[in-house]
Amino acid sequence: MIGVISYLVFFATVASILSIAVLGLNLQWGNTGLFNGGVVAFFGAGAYGTLILGGTPQAGQLGGFGLPYLLALLGGMVCAGIVAWIVGLLTIRLRHDYLAIATFGVAVAFETVMRNTDALGGAQGIRGFERPLRETLGNGFTYNLAFFAFVLILLIATYLFLERLIQSPFGRLLRAIREDETAAQSLGKSPSRVRLTSFVAGSVIMGLAGGLYATFYAFISPQDVLPILTFQIWAMLIVGGAGNNKGAVMGTFLIWAAWTASGWALSRFAPLEVQLYTGSIQFVLIGFVIVGMLLWRPQGLFPEKLVVSQSAKNK
Amino acid sequence: MNGLKTSALALGLAAGFASFGTDAAAQDCTTKIGAVLPTSVDWGKPIAATAQYAVDIANEAGGVAGCQIEMVLRDTQVDPKVGVDAAKALVDLDGVQLLLGAVSSGVSMPILTSVTVPAGVMQMSCCSSSTAFTRLAEEGKTNGLFYRTFATSGVQAAVGAMVAQDAGYKSVAVFYKNDDWGQDIGGLVADDLKALGIDVTASIAINDGQASFRAEVTEALKGNPEAIYMALYPKEGTQVVREWISLGGSQNMIAANALKSDEFRDNVGMQYLANFTGTDTASPRTDSASAFVDAYTAKFDGPPNGPGLANSYDATMIALMAMHAAGKDATGADIAAKVASITDPNGTPVTADAAGFTMAKEVLDGGGTVSYQGATGNVQFDKNGDVSAPAVTWTFSESGIEEQKYISLTEVNDFMASLN
Repeated sequence: MIGVISYLVFFATVASILSIAVLGLNLQWGNTGLFNGGVVAFFGAGAYGTLILGGTPQAGQLGGFGLPYLLALLGGMVCAGIVAWIVGLLTIRLRHDYLAIATFGVAVAFETVMRNTDALGGAQGIRGFERPLRETLGNGFTYNLAFFAFVLILLIATYLFLERLIQSPFGRLLRAIREDETAAQSLGKSPSRVRLTSFVAGSVIMGLAGGLYATFYAFISPQDVLPILTFQIWAMLIVGGAGNNKGAVMGTFLIWAAWTASGWALSRFAPLEVQLYTGSIQFVLIGFVIVGMLLWRPQGLFPEKLVVSQSAKNK
Repeated sequence: MNGLKTSALALGLAAGFASFGTDAAAQDCTTKIGAVLPTSVDWGKPIAATAQYAVDIANEAGGVAGCQIEMVLRDTQVDPKVGVDAAKALVDLDGVQLLLGAVSSGVSMPILTSVTVPAGVMQMSCCSSSTAFTRLAEEGKTNGLFYRTFATSGVQAAVGAMVAQDAGYKSVAVFYKNDDWGQDIGGLVADDLKALGIDVTASIAINDGQASFRAEVTEALKGNPEAIYMALYPKEGTQVVREWISLGGSQNMIAANALKSDEFRDNVGMQYLANFTGTDTASPRTDSASAFVDAYTAKFDGPPNGPGLANSYDATMIALMAMHAAGKDATGADIAAKVASITDPNGTPVTADAAGFTMAKEVLDGGGTVSYQGATGNVQFDKNGDVSAPAVTWTFSESGIEEQKYISLTEVNDFMASLN
């Protein structure tokens, strides 16, 4: 029984971390209409930033500054923000699919740079990070439980922050730009500045998720920032419902559960001769879920609630 | 009604007594072990099949510590998140104390740091080669729970350099796969070549999945090397060699074991491979090694030519023997502590088949130690859980892959010492 609880805590931790990243994407895509195809770059910047700032020194590698954990995590978010700001400035004129292609390229470039720069860990990745409070909490279940609580608090904080943000006038402005940029401009708003703000804010949130992810594994390597992660995070948002924060979180838990449970179920119930092919079967199953979702409920499980204005809603 | 109950009881008792003391009674229990391997990629499947094969042999030999072994196999998809989750599920939900895997170092490492070490589960990898594991062990952070049967890249790099020296090449260009394995071995072989006074004209990273490697090949051609060294996999290896030869590069080639595949030979063409020499870590010259090849060939209708197969077999066998030595309901730490008594050079030599497994169990039950003569050699772990191994050089022939020269463990160790 303790095993089941221990696994559920572990699962919920990973799902919560991914939820934070999906919330970040929801701000960009769901609320502002920015097609970010390079989620892993910002996720990765947060992860690498956190480990480099908070890790112990390793021969031939940058970093090992051993900063206090919260400072390192914050530093990781700043890294993600800086990357997003530079990418945002460069791509500010790009819309829709052009932005998607450009950001996808950034993500691939990020992975390639990490893989080839020995000072940043190279293909072997960065290790030597001490998980915070490990001395006090030990290494086992207690630690995972405490870390889960920490992640959950951050998830709730992010959720509340974004809910507040999209209900504010700024949130309305984001949606206005998403729906009709020219109209927003005619009202004296600066779409490019707002788009950049939204892009950087969403990326910083992804960076937070990346930092938590790297902390949880005490390790990060280029294998963690492959394009598959971008695809997974997008799938979570699409299934949950773009534009709805609750949907983003639910979608993450659902997709990640489907991803892991299908592997577990296949290993448990598939006949022995099929066992070797479970990996491929799993990909097919997940593909079916996503395609089915797009066919039958393209707006997602929790569609965006369209509100004309706050005053109209409150009447 | 009462009579029926009584007779059923009597029957049950009789059946119980009849089977008492035979294997059947001892086999009522099942012990689960976990395996996290990339079964969704083509070269991962045979590695998993080989591990399962070793488990079958152990079960055939009466199981481990009186129980049959069930290997629960999970796919990593070569995705660290998925692999770690699978490992965690195996440890928490199935309660395994022994985990085999993973293949990629980038997956094995987070499993080690966030699942097996915290849970005190023993992890045995067949194929992770990164030197990062050695450093982690040196820092005392693996708690002695990690072992791998993949000889560190140092052995193959050294033998590759030895081949270049023996062939009298004065200059060599190095191509390496741009992953942890390739960067490791590419860097090591360049150092070894320089230590032997051989000029390294270029060290070039090969990223897989490219349509063409013309740019990389042209870069290597500039230095006009007498030979090339390749730490590549068959897919990109084939492409690199094709472009290299079509642009007029030398046909003197040295390669690490990852190119030991019939697919590579067929796709490049034998006429270009006359001066090709491969390296590999080797089996000892014992009957058990050839017995493995024979048994494998009989079982899978082909010799074990893919990367990591013999390593996967040995990883599983050694781990299961250690599990037996540790006894029933042993924890991961107990099992890990017993590995030394399986690979004790002064122990009773045992072969890597069902008979060897039975014999090992007898010796271990009597409190002795065994020296496992495996498919990858007379495996011996150092204090960091790493193995060294004898080596071979091999070439391609019309009929397949042929061994050229055997380099014993002593020779390998002496040569490696001479390089430093």
